Amino acid sequence: MGDIKVRGLRVRFGTVEAVRGIDVTAYGGRATALLGRNGAGKSTTMRVLAGVVPPTAGTVVVDGIDVVADPLRTKRRTGYCPDVGGLVPRATPWEHLQLAARLRRLEDWEDRGRDLLERFELGDAAHRVTGGFSHGMGRRLSVVLAAFHEPPVLLLDEPFDGVDPLGVDATQQVIREAKARGAAVLVSTHLRDLAVEACEDALVLRGGSAVAGMDAAELVGEAGARAYRSLLD
Amino acid sequence: MRTDRSWTEDGPVAVVATGVADVGALLTFRRAGLRAGARRRLRIGAGLVLGLTVAAIVVPALLRAPLDGRRVGDLVAVLPSVYLGFAVLTVVAAISSGGGRELLPRDQAVAFPVSALTEHLGALVLAPLNVAWLIQAWALLGTTTYVLGPRHLAAAVVPLLLWIAVATAFGQLVGWGFEGLRRGPHGALVTRSIVAVVAAGGVGLVLGGRTTDLLDRSPTVEVYLAAAAATGGLWWHWLIAVLLLGGLLVLLALAGGIPARWALKRPQREELRLESGHREPGPNPRSDLAAMIRLDRASIWRAVPLRRGLLVLGLMPGAVALAGELTWDLVTILPGLVASGGALLFGVNTWCLDGAGALWRDSLPVDPKVAFLAKVVVLFEVLLVAGALTIALAAVRAGAPSSAELASVLLATIVVAAQVVATSLRWSVRSPYAVNLRSARATPAPPVVMAGYSARLAAKTTVVGLIFSGTSLAADWRAAALVAVPLLCWSAYRLVGTAEAWAHPVVRARVVATVSG
Repeated sequence: MGDIKVRGLRVRFGTVEAVRGIDVTAYGGRATALLGRNGAGKSTTMRVLAGVVPPTAGTVVVDGIDVVADPLRTKRRTGYCPDVGGLVPRATPWEHLQLAARLRRLEDWEDRGRDLLERFELGDAAHRVTGGFSHGMGRRLSVVLAAFHEPPVLLLDEPFDGVDPLGVDATQQVIREAKARGAAVLVSTHLRDLAVEACEDALVLRGGSAVAGMDAAELVGEAGARAYRSLLD
Repeated sequence: MRTDRSWTEDGPVAVVATGVADVGALLTFRRAGLRAGARRRLRIGAGLVLGLTVAAIVVPALLRAPLDGRRVGDLVAVLPSVYLGFAVLTVVAAISSGGGRELLPRDQAVAFPVSALTEHLGALVLAPLNVAWLIQAWALLGTTTYVLGPRHLAAAVVPLLLWIAVATAFGQLVGWGFEGLRRGPHGALVTRSIVAVVAAGGVGLVLGGRTTDLLDRSPTVEVYLAAAAATGGLWWHWLIAVLLLGGLLVLLALAGGIPARWALKRPQREELRLESGHREPGPNPRSDLAAMIRLDRASIWRAVPLRRGLLVLGLMPGAVALAGELTWDLVTILPGLVASGGALLFGVNTWCLDGAGALWRDSLPVDPKVAFLAKVVVLFEVLLVAGALTIALAAVRAGAPSSAELASVLLATIVVAAQVVATSLRWSVRSPYAVNLRSARATPAPPVVMAGYSARLAAKTTVVGLIFSGTSLAADWRAAALVAVPLLCWSAYRLVGTAEAWAHPVVRARVVATVSG
């Protein structure tokens, strides 16, 4: 369940090549961290996996589905937390859930929706428009929306960015639950410590290319920090 | 650390000089963000506006003799009203845009110490980037120079240009004051009460038949007399008027900074109320399309600039028709103006409704054509509702329509709405922009682009309105239907083409990534 296989992924925007031949393999029941500096190609890779950006070249298979051949099925199998915003500014969290539930054909979803909102401390804001949310609240709701339908592939792009410790704990819990049910989780983040805590595997990107793949445990502590920095330069 | 200059510590000259310099810097910044093609189009557009302005001044003046001064007497009588009408237009434009357009969007400007005076002067500079402003200004200039003729034309036109600038500065000043009131405690109630009183006064004047008397006493007659003084060689009269108007312009332009500062310091209560209020959830939607439409409707009706803009659009042209007692053959032109204005509120960059949520929405498993159709439906219904409101107001004094008139007005409304939807969606897919429509001063595209859009939409819809004006005079209502069918087919064809473009993953990715910011 939920494997991700990316081979030779290239994404070009006009004259800029954002991703230059990346290979990614992620397995169901495990979490993989995508690490790297700004502009390394992490978010673009996540967008391709979510079926939002088409690849220029390469093969991308998500949960057994080729994203180019069948983007709609890919979107049914993935839950995506975008790196920027991710929320319709004048809709409420509940309205976001209603739309997601309708398009994903979920039945009796209300209790799970309420539970997730409560866990992320958004229960009181369920019926307020998201335009008035703080950055952290917006991030937390984006994680809720990605995990809401318990997808086989969970794609979290900068889920910890600006989030308070309780929100971080809730996100880590969502990742653990996803792994427990056999989902493949991909976490893109700048925060190495949190990535190491959440993930078993790590892939470091630089300038649109993958420069190293390793066990996340290798990035733990001071030695891990030095190893990580050496991969960024 | 102080980031803003103070009148008391730095002196008024330094404050004004800094404000003007900052406007220049912001304009340069905006220009630097334009691509080469956009800069070329900007130069062409500016040249076109300049050329049309010169033509609006010179051509009517030269036509006076060949036309033997036909209807000059009638035109002289209405000129003060035309000048007054221009001032009313600038006031309404400034009020409806929350004090005036932003030279730099608020979310981009937060990192810079942009003073209230700079905000005000920037809004003043941007005020002419509006097709309604331009057309009214050209009409004012052309009508007057036709009456005056070519003698000493360059001098005669100076008071007119000064009046246009004075009226714009006045509108800006009132606009900021109104915005300040709106942002105050019970601001919505206060401003709505003012609008109601003004509207009731206007209705009272019209129904009491005193409009003409009042307009005849308009002080704007002095503007015409100043222009006529140049033609007649009364140079002292001309000079004094020019100096007075020039002084008034400087005074109003600078004075506008005071209410601007007052308004901009106040919290945006209406926006905050909308953002913090409880929204009772509706029942779960029964179809994908209904779910998408519901979210898009919420995005429109919960946005302050869109609510206000749609209300103004629905009511203002209707009020003009009501006051002017427009006949049905002229009412056919109004739906086009309303539809153009409606599209300029958000339609020309429709996906900006999703804002930062565009990426998430596109990650949902739904056919892109359903998402496209939802945008078509919400834009079309908004334009139809605003158009219907306008027609309903116009109908009060237009009398009972013939079948041809009724068919022409109704079909004109549908045809221009379809035309504007097709054009807007095409522009939305071709040229998306990341904008936040939270502020009442926000526009869905940069001001220069908006000026181009508004000119093109106004030209297209006015032509269609005039065609239906012709069919309204026909003996048979089927003439309007015969015209409407091919026009609707053409709009449908354009929409299908845009839907196919939107369905392409590369195009869609570009749009959603752009509007997401």
